[in-house]
This record gives sequence, C-alpha cells and structure tokens, in this order.
Amino acid sequence: MRNKIAAILNLVEDSKDLRPLTQNRPVASLPFACRYRLIDFPFSALYNAEVNSAALFISESGHSLYDHIRSGANWGLDSPVGGGVFTHSQIELKTLRAERDEEFNITYFDNHRKYVQKSKADYVLLCGSNMLSNISLNAILQYHQEKNADITAAFKKVSRKALKKDTETFAYYFDGNEDDYLSKMEKMSEVPYEDKTVSLGMNYVIMGKEVFNRYLKKAEEGNSRIDGNTFLRYSLENGDKAYGYEYTGYLKSIEDIPSYFEANMEILEEKNFNALFYRNDPIITRPRHGAPTYYGPNAVVNNALIASDCEIYGKVENSLLYRQTKIREDTEVSCSIIMHGTKIGKNCYLKYVILDKNIKVGDNVHLEGTREKPLVFKKGDTIESGKVIREGSKI
Amino acid sequence: MKTEILGMVLAGGQGSRLGKLTKQIAKPAVPFGGKYRIIDFALSNCANSGITNVGVVTQYQPLILNEHVGDGAPWGLNRHNGGATILQPYSSVDGEKWFKGTAHAIYQNIDYIDQYNPDYVLVLSGDHIYKMDYEKMLNFHKEKAASLTVGVLPVSWDEAPRFGIMNTDLTNRIIEFDEKPAKPKSNLASMGIYIFNWPRLKQYLQDNQSKTRNMLDFGGDVIPAYLDNSEQVFAYAFEDYWKDVGTIESLWEANMEFINPDHDLNIRDTNWRIYSRTPDCPPQFISKTGKVTNSMITDGCYVSGEVEHSILSHNVRVGKGSVVKDSFVMADVVIGENVHIEKAIIGEGARIYDGGQVIGKDKDIAVLGYNEEIGGLTHEE
Repeated sequence: MRNKIAAILNLVEDSKDLRPLTQNRPVASLPFACRYRLIDFPFSALYNAEVNSAALFISESGHSLYDHIRSGANWGLDSPVGGGVFTHSQIELKTLRAERDEEFNITYFDNHRKYVQKSKADYVLLCGSNMLSNISLNAILQYHQEKNADITAAFKKVSRKALKKDTETFAYYFDGNEDDYLSKMEKMSEVPYEDKTVSLGMNYVIMGKEVFNRYLKKAEEGNSRIDGNTFLRYSLENGDKAYGYEYTGYLKSIEDIPSYFEANMEILEEKNFNALFYRNDPIITRPRHGAPTYYGPNAVVNNALIASDCEIYGKVENSLLYRQTKIREDTEVSCSIIMHGTKIGKNCYLKYVILDKNIKVGDNVHLEGTREKPLVFKKGDTIESGKVIREGSKI
Repeated sequence: MKTEILGMVLAGGQGSRLGKLTKQIAKPAVPFGGKYRIIDFALSNCANSGITNVGVVTQYQPLILNEHVGDGAPWGLNRHNGGATILQPYSSVDGEKWFKGTAHAIYQNIDYIDQYNPDYVLVLSGDHIYKMDYEKMLNFHKEKAASLTVGVLPVSWDEAPRFGIMNTDLTNRIIEFDEKPAKPKSNLASMGIYIFNWPRLKQYLQDNQSKTRNMLDFGGDVIPAYLDNSEQVFAYAFEDYWKDVGTIESLWEANMEFINPDHDLNIRDTNWRIYSRTPDCPPQFISKTGKVTNSMITDGCYVSGEVEHSILSHNVRVGKGSVVKDSFVMADVVIGENVHIEKAIIGEGARIYDGGQVIGKDKDIAVLGYNEEIGGLTHEE
C-alpha cells in the first residue's frame, strides 16, 4: 500500500517538571510500563496505520531516543521504498540562534516542507509523545475524510482536575449546532480548576498536505514552532473547517513527576492495562533478549507488572519492575517504579519511590515517599546500606 | 567472497521420541525455557563465536522452523555478505535432493558452501541445549593441524554404550570410533559437532559419488572413512552443560533444571546471550490473587492463580484458583479457573478449561499437544 500519511513528531516538549528523569533524556524516551518508552505509543500508532516514514524534531542530541529507535525497523519505518526516520536534533538550540542567524530558521521550515513533499503522502500528521494513548490513525483519517475537514484534531473528555493546574495542554470547544465542529480552543490552564468535564486536545492533528503547506507558510512568517495545536489555532483564525475526533481509550498527559507516577500506577488497573495493551492495535517496542523473569522460593508478588529478565526474591506489591531489576530477600517494594537494571539489596522497605535506571540500593534501606510526592532517584545513583529517607507526611 | 569458517546447522531431524511435540514441528523448533526454541542455542553460539555465515538445513516439518530462523536478524545473522540462509531440499535435473543423512545433507549443499569458499566448515546439530565457544574449538583444530575435529563430551560409563564413542591417544587424536559399543573403551561421546577442512571433506563427498555412494552419515560413514585413510582426526573435549532433549522426560527435566537461578547454563550472562525471535508482548501481570514461586515467567503472561516451580512461556493465562506445579507451559496457553496441572508439558496454544486436570508422574510426564483442548463443561445431549 502507498504511504497515506507523512508523520511529523514534534518532540521539543517541556521536560523541566519531569526532572531528574528527563535530565539526560527527552520526554519521548521516558521509560513506561516496564518495557516501553513514550515514543513507542505514537510510533505504534504509525505502525498500526501502516505509515512508513516519520520526521522527528527534538530539542537536544536525542542520543537515548536514537539508541531506542535505531533504523525504525521495529515499527516498519525502514522500507527501502519510501521509508525512513528523518531526525532533526538540537532544534531548541537552533531556533535560539535563529534570531541571529536567518539560515537555521529557513532550514527548520524547509526540513518540514521537504519531508512532506518527499513522502508523497496526501495527509500530514502532527503529534508529540507526552500524551500517552493507543490511538488509531486510520480511524482519525477516515473521520477526517468523511467530514471533508480541513483539519481534524483528536481529543478526549476528561475531568479538568485530572490535569495539573498549570498544564500546557489545550481545551477544545465545539459549535452548538454541529457537536463535533471545533470552534474554539483555550489554554487549559485558563479553564477553572474544578471537577468539570473538558475536551482535552491530544495534540494529534491531521490535515491534507495543501492545508499543511499553507499553515507552514504562516508559521514561517510568524517564526513559530511547528506543532499540532499551533496549526489548529491557525485554522480557527482562518475560519477553516476544523473537526474534533473523540478518542475514548486510555489517555494520560505526562507533564510532571506526579502525572508520570500516576500513569504508571493507573496501568496496574486491569481496565487501563487492557485498554492500552490488549487492543487489536499492539504497542511495539524494541525487542530485547533477556531471560524470563525468575521468582524465588519466597517471592510474594501481587498486583504488579513485571518485565522479563528480573530476579525477585522479596515482596512486590502495586509496583512496576522494568527489565533486569533484582529484588533481594526480605525486601518489600510497594507502590513504586523500579527501572531497568536497578538492584535492591536485602531487608529494604520502599514505598512511593521511583528509582531510575541502574541504581544500586544496599541492604536495610528505608525509602518512603507519598502518593503525591514520590521519592525520585536519578540514573546511576548509589544508596548506601542502612539509609533512611522519608518525604512529606504519611497518608 | 572468502570466509574462514562457515556454520552448517543440521535442523532437519524429526525427534520422533518427543511424540506429539514433534508431530507438526521439527525438533529444533520445539520450545524451551519460556522464550526459546532449541535451535536458538546453536544459532546464538554461532553468533557469539563470531561465525556470521550460517546455513540452516531443514527438511522435516519446516514451516515453524523456517519462520523462526527467517533472515537470522535476532541473532545478528542478517548481514550484507551472507548471514543465515535456510537450505531446504529441492528438485533439479539430477532428481530430487532429499537429505538422506547428515553427510548427504552437506553434499547436497556443496554449491551453497562453495559460494563462501570457506577454509573450514563447522557442522552442528540444532537439537541440543548448551553454550559453547566454537572459536576455541577452531583454534584447537588449527593448532593440531587437524583434518577433522570432533566435539566430544565425557559421559558417565553407564551411558557410554548409548553414544558414538571416540577412543583417543594421549594427544587427543582419535584412533578408533565405536558406534554404541557394548564394552566402551573410553567415555568420550560424540556431540555431533564437527570442524572439517572444507576442501578435503568436499573431496570425500564428491569422489564417493562415483564409487559406492554410501557417504550418508558423518558418524557411520565419514568418520570411519577418515580413520581408515589415516586423516588427522582429533577430539575436542567440552565439559560444560550439554543436554540432548530427545525425549519427553528429558525435555521436561531440562526445563525444570533451567528454573534454578544457579543453573550451569547461566542464562542471564550478558557476555553470552541466547537470542531468539520473540513476539512483542506487554509485561507480565501478576494479579491480586496471583502467587508465583520458584518459577520463570515470560512477557505477556497473566497470572491470577498459583504457579510453583514451573515455566510459563509468552502469553500464558492462569485463571483464579488454578494450580500449575512442576510443569513447562508453552506459549499462548489458556488455563481457566480451578485447573490443576502438575508434572506436565503443555503444548503451544493449548486450552485447559475450568476444572480441567493434566497431571503426570515422575517418569511419566503428562503431555498436552499443540492446540489441544481439555476440561470444561461436558456437553450431554
């Protein structure tokens, strides 16, 4: 089948509230659900719609991201016929310099234009990676075509309170007469913070390539970053036909540590887990070659998601263990996220903790955060035996 | 193109003693250890030993095996200049080229081997569970200036009469080959691993075509001919874990041993990984009622019941109130509620409905075949 959609992923995403997890990685390569990274979700959407190329724009070097995606072969993005992952790094740096140097600016917009032109696709998708979902691009595209829309944006109805107060997301509003005609968008942070349903824009936006080129020109004139919500705003300003596609599956806007922690915990609920992973459309990631996970003779594991290649001798409850983690005897881990390669010694107690990759925890360590404020340790840390760290007050 | 050493994995065997488990698939494709198939060990050993050109000879029920090996990508064997190649019998003007024996399979693939013009050919069987560095064996072969090196395994004297036994002199040179001797003179059993100097082996195989045409097997024909002609044949002793999982009991036993985290295979050693082609599935989920002890569980599993001293492969579901004990469960098996499985091997895709039982005994392991169904409500009309 010929490529229908040119996919542009704007991965220049705000990551300051996710530190220290994003200290050395973009939001797109944040680990999630034991064996995935956030980029796997939009990439799987591409895979499931048989999209065969993608252009990525990211703010820093993207080392960890490129190490994960490699040639894009796992997501079917490496076909010699029209396939490819086209990467553009250091975008932030370059746009900063652009104020002084016109050339960088021109390159940034040209890169988008050329990619879309070369992909030979009739439609363009703009999306990011911090809206965790399992969405069908074919369904959005079909809707877009049936509505004869200029631009179609995916949204989900959520409670305003499910998002953080100063969220960077947008609320969509629809025309009273035709209830999916998108008539207005507003910064979500300006919507009153109360228990009321809002239409949360998912920043998955589809348009025809002529429309894209028109908005691209406008972005170039205004020197603004290319992004789904920006283009949607152009269409509203222009009075073009904008429609909203309602997504009903699992969605989480990952903007800070609490929302990241919550997303992981929510996945422990079977309903959410099934909605995200057991749909017809699978989530694809880079395969790894670890052994199956070993559960020791006295292991007690309940309500937990576990990747392969772990070794569990202690107790694990309401937690997620990523690949190659090790939990020694008499240790209890609950409500925590233990990432790839982290080893926890004997007789420890961990509750509401996020341990990034390759952390070494000694014996008799007590770490305790709270649901609202989990304790976070950064990649490669060492926590000495006997250490006791508590954060905030217990609930 | 010039290659120093080419690997030839003989994966055409049926393994008839595995009964139901090799009815539809060849023995090298039989699942093992939760996420492997038996041939993964030979292929991973090749990859880890730096042997990047590997022919995989298939014949018996090759569908799953061929799909599994594919382009060799999981083992890094999808190279520009070679990689893994599946070799199947084909017909030609000379007639059909079915493989009539191990040596005959090599003879039929001379054209493939000659493409690489190798100095040495490593002949392996795809039937065994072990980790071996073939590069060390090649170095031994070169040091000894051998024409043929045979990988041998010291076995217990009781077992020796079941194997092809190599009698050696003090320099490890093989002076006599006894196929299943009643009174063995040595306990060095052939592992079915050979390094040949290719030009010489080719000469033997081709010359024989104009003579008796009886060079069918390495053990029965080629090695005796080499010894008769006073070729330099050496024995290379391998002393680590090696298992032929030729029967239901030995397959079960090898899997049960494999659970032990201190197993000699050291499966978590990142310096010698065993690679496999695995489906992409979500992490394993142990529910609030799940209980897992002394077991190995693979991606995609969902456990709501009790699993003790067992292996669950990909996408196995264990319902509430069910007990799985001392068993090896292959991929995509659905186990309902209140099911009892003990001392059993459950084939891929099998379904055990509510209340079903699959219970074996020592020396009489229960086997449920691929896609078999058992248990549940009885429908009386």
